[in-house]
Amino acid sequence: MKFAAFLIVSLCGGLLLYATADLPAWGDPNSPAGTHLSPHYIEKALEETDVPNLVTAVLADYRGYDTMFETAVVFCAGLACLLLLRDYTRKKGSFYRHIPTGVVIHFKENRKNPPKSREFEHMDKEWVPYDLIMKTVCRILIPFIQLYALYVVAHGDFSPGGGFQGGVIFGSSLILLAISYNLRTVMDRIKERVLGFLCVLGVLVYTGIGVLCMIPGGNFLDYSKLAVFLPVDPGHVRALGMLGVEIGVGIAVMAVMVVIYVNIASEGRHDEGL
Amino acid sequence: MNILVIFFLLFGLFFFTGGAVGIIRMPDFYSRLHPAGKLDTLGIMSMVLGLALYNLNHFSAGTLLLSIKMILIIFFVFLSSPTATHSIVDAGIRAGLRHWSKEQRRVE
Repeated sequence: MKFAAFLIVSLCGGLLLYATADLPAWGDPNSPAGTHLSPHYIEKALEETDVPNLVTAVLADYRGYDTMFETAVVFCAGLACLLLLRDYTRKKGSFYRHIPTGVVIHFKENRKNPPKSREFEHMDKEWVPYDLIMKTVCRILIPFIQLYALYVVAHGDFSPGGGFQGGVIFGSSLILLAISYNLRTVMDRIKERVLGFLCVLGVLVYTGIGVLCMIPGGNFLDYSKLAVFLPVDPGHVRALGMLGVEIGVGIAVMAVMVVIYVNIASEGRHDEGL
Repeated sequence: MNILVIFFLLFGLFFFTGGAVGIIRMPDFYSRLHPAGKLDTLGIMSMVLGLALYNLNHFSAGTLLLSIKMILIIFFVFLSSPTATHSIVDAGIRAGLRHWSKEQRRVE
């Protein structure tokens, strides 16, 4: 099995390396990209797409097909992390702390569901007391970080930003929650199932917009055909298509970040870690 | 206006220099974190404040918005940088790193 995987990987790598021989030289001013493509993007991007940010226009519109598979690669990374690391065997024994007295109880077997009440607190094996300063500051900061993430996603077509960056910021806010409180707090707020669903949803939004463009008879990811569905100025439709795509990318990246963090930090058990 | 801006920038520069010298010259981990955490906060505060004021030279809604964003940066740095320093020190103490003292020159 390992040998087969090695064979496939080296074949693909060899094929890619072989194909690079046909590429134009590095920085060649006479290559097609230098003579036709870049001047077209620089001169026409604003009037064609109505997006002031040229980088976003190239990334999400002209090269939208490429970006779709980048999102799929991110999704695959999350999926691989889940498949390799997820451990469904429940660990034996758990620690509980009686909050008023500070006595720690060790349940050796998990026969029943442990008592869930205000007096008892499920605690990690390597438990450290909550730091009040850390907790409070993180509680104040996390909403702002998330708001900023949404701002970055929504402003992708006006200023530096976009789906990847915004998704990473949003995911890191959830990771900050996991670090400052504990992993169970995050997993109680976002169930594992929801995370997996969001991973898929992000990629589906992207491809769904692509397919939606095909319904009125356009090409895959040809946003200008979305004018049928959107009652706005036809010149602005491509910008809106890009925004939708960016939102899909943001959702996928956010969920994948959290999935990777949670699986690595807790060795796949989703109960405790870091 | 510009005099105020220059004052703020020089003030911030002074604190940045002090912080940089402190990080190099202080004897151990904990005392190095002191300039890194504290002086950088104050340095960034006065420098960004100076830049925000300079940005208001051409007063309009756009520049005002930009200045407000800069002041928000100050607020968040002011909130997060000391917390980060605090948690690093906390982690160092939990991990058992001894602090420096005059008698015991070499930290073991």
